[in-house]
Amino acid sequence: MKMNISMKMTAIAAAAWFLLLAGASAFAAAAAENYRFYCSQCHGLGGKGDGPNATKNMPVSPRDHTSKYEMEKLTDEDIINVIRDGGAATSKSTLMPPFGRTLTASEITAMKDYLRRLCKCKAQS
Amino acid sequence: MSQGQFSSASGMLMIALSFFFFASSAFAGAGEGKKAFDAAGCAACHQIKGPAKEKTIKDALAKKGPELWYAGSKFKKEFLGGWLEDPRPIRPMEFYSLTKTNQGNHPKLSGKDAADVAGFLMGLKAPEVKDSGIKPQENQRGRIIFVKKQSCYGCHQVKEKGVITGGLTGPSLAGAAERLSPDWVCAYLSNPRVFKPVKDMPDYAGILTDEEIRDLAAYVSNLN
Ligand code: HEC
Ligand code: HEC
Ligand code: HEC
Repeated sequence: MKMNISMKMTAIAAAAWFLLLAGASAFAAAAAENYRFYCSQCHGLGGKGDGPNATKNMPVSPRDHTSKYEMEKLTDEDIINVIRDGGAATSKSTLMPPFGRTLTASEITAMKDYLRRLCKCKAQS
Repeated sequence: MSQGQFSSASGMLMIALSFFFFASSAFAGAGEGKKAFDAAGCAACHQIKGPAKEKTIKDALAKKGPELWYAGSKFKKEFLGGWLEDPRPIRPMEFYSLTKTNQGNHPKLSGKDAADVAGFLMGLKAPEVKDSGIKPQENQRGRIIFVKKQSCYGCHQVKEKGVITGGLTGPSLAGAAERLSPDWVCAYLSNPRVFKPVKDMPDYAGILTDEEIRDLAAYVSNLN
């Protein structure tokens, strides 16, 4: 069968769309796995700030990542900076550790997107 | 072969044999320790040959116990034998669990096996752990990093004024002074991926300076 131009275009567009979706969902899956492994020990499996390290005598509670009220105070830049450099980056508690030598820059960006899905929120403008 | 030649050949053989027995008896502890290690099924949960194998989070979570291929560089000899006889929890939580606390059900060894296995494990050295010259001490700069600048206590228990406090997901550092070699603590903080390429503690190499890591290692390896 000979493809005409528009069939080719459709095929290419479909392939590109497929790759984009597959790529995005691979990133999302990796972010969920990273969250569970690195962040849940403090922020909890569901992100409510209730991981096993959030004991009574911790002076500062881990952020509830499902809280729209708390999370919309942060810009995307803030979230990326605090994951990379720790609580000190947003003048918060150093109980929030720096992950800049543990996660890559693209993993941190994917993590920011994951947190935005948890809070179902954007930065307040 | 003449008489003389025969006796000198057998004399050589005797010397060679007695040398062999001498050498093997010097290592008998380690050899028996390896046998006891295998007989008790320890290898089912512990890796004793380096280098580290895990590449992904799944690999790390598939481990059933901490790797021991550098045990001789990590632990203090006096600690290991005693712990194998009476293994009290080191990690407050079950290995890599976020929900279950450590039940303290690690296999126990009898006195002789514990000593032999400790001898065997102390022979497992990692060349990356160098003589750092670090002396365990109440290092003030190290303390400030631990409790303020990096809040290491967020995941590690410590004893403060006689009370155990701190997070639960890392190994307890209360009693690190009896357990851990300062050289290993320094090597682990400076070069974590040699020992644990994938782990739930963040890497601080490149975030802390070499000087800060030495201060921390002195402080951590002095914790009671
Ligand atoms: C050792 C415990 C701990 C771990 C592990 C941890 N956090 Fe946190 N995190 C905290 C604490 C405590 C706070 C609250 C700091 C404050 O309010 O001063 C926090 C706050 C935050 C904030 C809000 C910062 C702000 O400015 O409001 C974000 C975003 C965040 N963490 C993301 C993460 C991500 C992503 C991970 C995993 C890569 C992670 N955290 C791992 C303890 C932790
Ligand atoms: C069912 C799996 C399992 C078996 C079998 C097992 N261990 Fe363990 N081992 C563990 C776990 C899990 C830990 C962590 C315990 C803790 O933190 O309290 C551990 C910890 C250790 C430690 C301390 C390591 C560290 O980094 O803190 C040593 C040493 C050790 N085991 C030696 C042995 C020896 C020797 C045997 C055989 C008699 C053995 N283990 C059998 C699972 C196992
Ligand atoms: C987010 C939690 C977390 C933070 C923050 C953290 N650690 Fe850890 N640490 C762990 C975990 C978990 C392990 C065990 C890793 C493994 O065996 O896979 C560990 C292991 C260690 C060990 C080895 C202990 C042993 O017995 O094997 C030392 C020493 C240590 N950490 C020191 C520190 C220092 C110093 C800091 C601060 C600069 C720090 N940790 C911050 C979670 C943490």
